[in-house]
Amino acid sequence: MTRYLVRRAALLAGTLVLASVVLFLLLRLLPGDPANALLSVGATPDQVAAARHQIGTDRPLPAQFAHWIGQLATLHFGTSFVSSLPVGPEIVSRLSVTVPLTLAAFVLAVLVAVPVGFLAAHRSHTWYGALAGVVSQLGIAVPAFWLGLILVWVFALRLRALPAGGFPPDGWATPGDAVRALILPVVTVALVMSASLIRYVRSATLDVLGSDHLRTARALGSSFLGAMWRHGVRNASVPVVSVLGIELATTFLGAVVIESVFALPGLGSMLVRGIAQHDYPVIQGVLFVSTFAVLVVGFLSDVAQRLIDPRLRTSFGRRR
Amino acid sequence: MRRRVFLIVGAVLVVLVLAIALVSLFWTPYPAADTTGGRLDGPSLHHLLGTDKLGRDLLTRLMIGARIALAVGAGAVALGAVVGGVAGLLAGFASRWVDDALAALLDILIAFPTLLLAMLVVAARGASLGSAIVAIGLAMSAIVARLTRILVKRVLAMDYVTAARTSGVSWPRIVTAHVLPNIWPTLAVNLALQFGLAVLAEASLSYLGLGPPPPNASWGRLLQEAQSTVLTAPVGAIAPGVLLVVLVVGVNLVADGLRDVADPTRRRQR
Amino acid sequence: MKKQRIALLGAALATAVALAACGSGGGSTAGAPAAADANAVVQVGSLYEPQNLDNTGGGGQGVTEAFNGNVYEGLYRLTDDGKVEPLLATGNTVSADGLTYTFTLRDGVTFHSGKALTSEDVKYSIEKVLAPDSKSARKSSFPEIKQITTPDPKTVTVTLATRSISFVYNLSYVWIVNDQAGSIAAKEDGTGPYQLDTWKRGSTLTLKKFADYWGTPATNGGVVFHYFTDGSALDNALLTNAVDVVTSEQNPDALPQFADNPAYKVNDGKSTTKLLLAFNDRVAPFNNTQVRKAISSAIDNKKLLQSIWGDHGTLIGSMVPPTDPWYTDLTGVNPHNVDTAKSLLAQAGYPKGFSFTLDTPNYDPHPTVATFVKSELAKVGITVNINVITSDQWYTKVYQNKDFQATLQEHVNDRDVVWYGDPDFYWGYDNPQVTDWVKQAEQAPTEAQQTELLKKVNQQIAQDAASDWLYLYPQIVVASTKVSGYPVNGLNSQFFAYGIKKG
Repeated sequence: MTRYLVRRAALLAGTLVLASVVLFLLLRLLPGDPANALLSVGATPDQVAAARHQIGTDRPLPAQFAHWIGQLATLHFGTSFVSSLPVGPEIVSRLSVTVPLTLAAFVLAVLVAVPVGFLAAHRSHTWYGALAGVVSQLGIAVPAFWLGLILVWVFALRLRALPAGGFPPDGWATPGDAVRALILPVVTVALVMSASLIRYVRSATLDVLGSDHLRTARALGSSFLGAMWRHGVRNASVPVVSVLGIELATTFLGAVVIESVFALPGLGSMLVRGIAQHDYPVIQGVLFVSTFAVLVVGFLSDVAQRLIDPRLRTSFGRRR
Repeated sequence: MRRRVFLIVGAVLVVLVLAIALVSLFWTPYPAADTTGGRLDGPSLHHLLGTDKLGRDLLTRLMIGARIALAVGAGAVALGAVVGGVAGLLAGFASRWVDDALAALLDILIAFPTLLLAMLVVAARGASLGSAIVAIGLAMSAIVARLTRILVKRVLAMDYVTAARTSGVSWPRIVTAHVLPNIWPTLAVNLALQFGLAVLAEASLSYLGLGPPPPNASWGRLLQEAQSTVLTAPVGAIAPGVLLVVLVVGVNLVADGLRDVADPTRRRQR
Repeated sequence: MKKQRIALLGAALATAVALAACGSGGGSTAGAPAAADANAVVQVGSLYEPQNLDNTGGGGQGVTEAFNGNVYEGLYRLTDDGKVEPLLATGNTVSADGLTYTFTLRDGVTFHSGKALTSEDVKYSIEKVLAPDSKSARKSSFPEIKQITTPDPKTVTVTLATRSISFVYNLSYVWIVNDQAGSIAAKEDGTGPYQLDTWKRGSTLTLKKFADYWGTPATNGGVVFHYFTDGSALDNALLTNAVDVVTSEQNPDALPQFADNPAYKVNDGKSTTKLLLAFNDRVAPFNNTQVRKAISSAIDNKKLLQSIWGDHGTLIGSMVPPTDPWYTDLTGVNPHNVDTAKSLLAQAGYPKGFSFTLDTPNYDPHPTVATFVKSELAKVGITVNINVITSDQWYTKVYQNKDFQATLQEHVNDRDVVWYGDPDFYWGYDNPQVTDWVKQAEQAPTEAQQTELLKKVNQQIAQDAASDWLYLYPQIVVASTKVSGYPVNGLNSQFFAYGIKKG
């Protein structure tokens, strides 16, 4: 296991380096001129050239890359072409919205999805089991922004119980306001996430319920829950954990719609703005941080799977 | 038996949407570009579901949207399944280093936002239905590949498969006899989910102007357009959503049904 | 929802192609009187976040809205009806040849950093706009300046190469910045009634009162601009009292919920933002006046305006909005008439129509408008291929390379009819007579003569259907009745906050 961890960690580091090169080059494939974001109708050719020089895109690519990597090595993300503000602090400020949003939604989604998915599989013959299945079916088909708008309408506009959107200017310095601002977005993301998770949990549970070990264990006199715990949960967890990793990763940047509906200053909207303005330092910075996060989640999810499923652990050494 | 019912219900829903799409090829209540209606008229005998801001018949737009929804969903899922499935199988079977490299690449691709991918594709090919399908399909293939890889490794770790491999059974044989039947159920559920997500993803691309160019619009795009007029014309905000739910639920039910047919252990259990 | 990534790019990117302007205001304000609390902080909701804080550094529409008149002041300011009044200058004299301007500065003005205003700061600020690396949208509006001198700390003289009747007007777009300030992309040092407290990108920009302001202090305790990318989210913020006023409402269908509610007031102001169907007048068939007139007649602008904006907005029939001094109603020059359009097309040699590509920016309202244009022109046999492009592509393809047949674009500035005098502008309208009139107007000795000449320009471009001016946007400010004294016109997208009272 230690060897695996070391190897997997080395892989993580290698991937990150590879990713930064890929990111840098792919961005340069985007046609368009970052200088345009700074200019307006009426700009003269001189103004265009000056803008390019100012942001450094008139320099050769290797020089630009070396510059960026050099900064990164000292944990600096550079300065935005457009705002002239350093990218790092803005990423940190936006992470203070995105990380709590993603993690809270994730935990809530798991708390909802695991029991409901289990019920949908194990008690599918009862009305509530069937209902759980139906709700998750519908949940997947409802666009997230729509769900968000409905929640805003009910809880913010009608009941006046929660804010309709925005994040306090002082951020977590006013924890009460910050938490209140995140409740509706968290619920929205969690509901959408749990709808698809329920299906995986249900599917995995069905697999396990139909498996031979479980039947054998029960035939040998184990209680249902005991057998489930020993054989079922472990087996069912592997695909679910893998899917969880993907869900967490895509939510990290994918919450842009939710950020827009709830006017939250998260990482996703920073990226969208960066792309629209060809603000390379911003795009690179956000993608670097998010890639890092996704890779770490992938790492943890792989390790978790290995811990849960001993077969993956042992078979590994045997292969080739 | 209940399973069979779900399969039938699912099939009916999907066929319904397919039928709407087919009919729209030959007949719609109004020509697609007709703007003779009033601004945001409510439902009437002339316009069964009312009109949009420009006075276009909503029913007509919904019928044409069915075509686009199906094309985006099916196209992206097909692309994602083929590219992702093959990549995942290769990674699952490959030697450790190739597997590690592929896994790392997949992790990067998953972290890579669809939007950026879409902008690259659109820049290369121009904004069109095809570009949207390619962008969504490619983004999806990373997710499919990652899942396939994990599923394949699970199957390969099973004792009887290991036994088969050590006894010299060729790997194409292992794929068809052991791997595919075992991974298909979970993969099918995932692809059905991805179908719905693809249709929704197209909506956001359209919103950013990276989807199929006007005048034709997908349901997702119609939903987004109707968002601002929900107070004056609620039908426009509800109808595309209902159709979207019908299609996605239909596809999911069919996938579930097929999965149970494909998986004998499941049937025994019921 | 994974993979859905939305931003109202229109809000962010319109700024890239809009002439960042500053502007009028002050005079015309609205709202019911309220028992004001001088310490109350006004919460302003907006869709236009600054790109950065420097209006010569690509700050865009957002920084004009937040900073013009609030944080920075010019030598002059524009009143709400477009007149120029002294602000940091107490007055000026002009030499007999009209080339040398001498400005006297106001006493007792200090920057937020504490330094007193001197003529050196004015020289620095004007030069900053004209500098080679300046990205100011107004740079090309300025005449060639021969030299700027500062005979004493209270006096500035500017010598022009040619006469320029708009010089003083253009100076109202020049922020006076402390010459020691350095880069102001992320900080500020102005003389206005507010100073910058914090800017949280993507979220809020907070202004606090400046204690040593030279003039009448603000009637409120400070301002917080809240930035939104989604119009519905902004409306919701107003409905839940998270913001007090919305600087520019973009969705007419959201208005009933405010208009029907006594707690809100909907103000219809005056706008200078025009939506253009701009032809590339250099290329066939749009180099043919009859073709352009035919298209202008074929499109029912009234129905279009009604479709997009309901009962709001104005038809203009040319580039000049009613607030410009040289406005004349030209909506009758190319009236909507399908038969006229058809016969013009026949005369031009296109009895069966033709087809062309319409480059359409991908943010609202352009795709919807393109759809409408396509459907209207189909009635006269013209086939429109809609090519959706990003704002960035528009800038490169259409604006810089002039590689297009026709395009849609919003032009936000006042007094921008003069672009028709530049044959190298992206639309390529080349009428030597018009070019000459525009030049003469700029060098005219009196405003009356300038107005007369620009009216002729206006008439001529309408006759030639140089572009099709689809409509003038409405300018709608929605506010809670708890606040009063906010600007309702916001011409050129500025928003003077210092007169707002909050009860």
